[in-house]
Amino acid sequence: MVLDKEAMFAMREVYLDYQSAKPVDPRVIEEMMPYFHDLFGNPSSLHKVGDVATDALEQSRKRIAKFINADDDEILFTSGATESSNMALIGYALKNKKKGNHIVISEVEHISIHNIAKYLVSLGFEVSTVPVDQFGRVRVEKLERRLTDKTILISVGYASNEIGTVQPIAEIGKLAKERNIAFHTDAVAAEGLIDLDVERDNIDLMSLSSNDIYGPKGVGVLYMKKGYRINPLIIGGGQERGLRSGTENMPGIVGMSAAADIMAKEMPSEVERFRGYRDKAITHILEDVPDSHLNGHPTERLASNAHFRFDGIEGEGMLLSLKDLGVSVSTGSACTSKTLEPSHTLIATGLVHEEAHGSLQLSFGRFNIDSDVDRAIETIPQIVARLRGLSPIYVARRR
Amino acid sequence: MLHGEGDVKMKSTQYSKKVLDHFRNPRNVGTLEGDDVAVGKVGNPICGDLMEVFIKVKDDRIVDAKFMTFGCGSAIATSSMTTELVKGMTLEQAMEVTREDVASELEGLPPIKMHCSNLAADALHEAIKRYRARMTGEVIPGEETQAGGAECAIGKENYLGKGVYLSVTNPEDFKEKRVLVVHTGDKSLETAIELSKHTGRVVLLTPDAQIRTNTKLKEDLEASGIKILYESKLLEIRGQDEVEKVLVHNLNEDEKYDLFVDAVVLID
Repeated sequence: MVLDKEAMFAMREVYLDYQSAKPVDPRVIEEMMPYFHDLFGNPSSLHKVGDVATDALEQSRKRIAKFINADDDEILFTSGATESSNMALIGYALKNKKKGNHIVISEVEHISIHNIAKYLVSLGFEVSTVPVDQFGRVRVEKLERRLTDKTILISVGYASNEIGTVQPIAEIGKLAKERNIAFHTDAVAAEGLIDLDVERDNIDLMSLSSNDIYGPKGVGVLYMKKGYRINPLIIGGGQERGLRSGTENMPGIVGMSAAADIMAKEMPSEVERFRGYRDKAITHILEDVPDSHLNGHPTERLASNAHFRFDGIEGEGMLLSLKDLGVSVSTGSACTSKTLEPSHTLIATGLVHEEAHGSLQLSFGRFNIDSDVDRAIETIPQIVARLRGLSPIYVARRR
Repeated sequence: MLHGEGDVKMKSTQYSKKVLDHFRNPRNVGTLEGDDVAVGKVGNPICGDLMEVFIKVKDDRIVDAKFMTFGCGSAIATSSMTTELVKGMTLEQAMEVTREDVASELEGLPPIKMHCSNLAADALHEAIKRYRARMTGEVIPGEETQAGGAECAIGKENYLGKGVYLSVTNPEDFKEKRVLVVHTGDKSLETAIELSKHTGRVVLLTPDAQIRTNTKLKEDLEASGIKILYESKLLEIRGQDEVEKVLVHNLNEDEKYDLFVDAVVLID
């Protein structure tokens, strides 16, 4: 097929980067609206206007608790998953430093966890980083060998927001429980794609984001199991049991709980649909593009994630070319990052820099339609071929 | 609405119209051959950029220029612009062309891209130097790197039986493992090829710029899907209790980096 650029521009903008940001579901916006003006109260106020807000806050807490099989009083509202993870790691480490000073994370954590860990090292804590296999999966026996009698916390993300590999969370939870070590997971990438159950998986602390279930940005949750204690990082008027002060973001909190309610109902069918998109994209692209590879795990991967690597080309060029054709994607290439370093996750799977540079990530979501995946399948092989035509590395290999 | 003002200059991919034009429709893509042609090569795929600029010279003047580039949008655009700029210039004039000249012809580059991907002027100068050297019969060093084994890799002894292998008797043991094979001769190549039938990830490390061996092994190697790291040396083996990663030295760029592997094969 020859691409007619004009016609392409007139076509639907295809968004295949749901792992970066998601639109808020219109049904969620509808539930949020009253809390901006009509029901504007502060839950701390004792009058009727305040009571309405308190009621909404506690109902929201219940909905979130139900979404992850937790109790209401195990839910703390925050400004997002980054804050939740700060509380879970820094707050927990500071509160429990008498028990030990050692924390274990994995090589493929979200950058926020790596940076929090660096900060903890500067405070005098010791952090061990467990390597992963070629699919980006933590080997539990390897993690176990990292544990010492000083280990107080294990933090392993539920799934990779880049390559989509899902970690053996239940096994890690079981190990942590046996060794009496707290287990935190950043579950953001798995939200809405995997049924989250803190009881089943023995999770003690969990970071959640509202936007990842089609709620508004700027809201999140820290789940903390009963009996666990943390130091607050934000001190003030004593909201959220004194663990996270500041007047509650009521429209956001209501929005996140509405999003969780919708997600609980629609997830099974939605996940099936994404899996169809994902498998179609993977099958076609690996078939149609020579010297292409799938990054991440072949089966233990998020239903919405397809992550490729193309020999001899660079990701930013692919991203720009797809942008021209109205298709939005992500890449692990260094040339698009703030630090000009390639994705640490891809490097941890054993790739060398030049391979990591040639990666391309597609992530599907609620508002994709069948033709979106077709656009990706049609455009990507042509773009790869064009950029390879310019590439001295690829041409050298062909000779 | 808060958007639409175009104020996203801080983003690394926010390019000028001219950069985008040269990225979308690059001029002078290709290679040149002949006695009157010289090529300048700069960059390194490790850093995400590799450029080759070819110049054809007649009576001290550049009569044609071509390029091949592996890199991001600005790497491609600067290569294209450089070749456009220098056609018709004398060698002396072309030596005066700077990275800044190329960037300003392109109506600017994002600040973060000024150094990392604006290497085409350097490649051009390299090509001119090589052309002049050839005319005067001077020898330019740096084309070949010396061969050498990995005998001195730190940690080799400590990880024997824990991921370091001096020979491979049972290739099935390497199933689903990431294996680094150090090129020490044909035996190591045969081992690497055999291992690639048992695992999807075999990396071959060689200090040379190309693998010198017989035709049969060369063909098998090409068909095997083995990732070859040229001009590279194994410096150190690392891991807690067992092999987890290695420190690799890229000799060409004098750069050291971590490579995550599960096994290292060092055949004497």
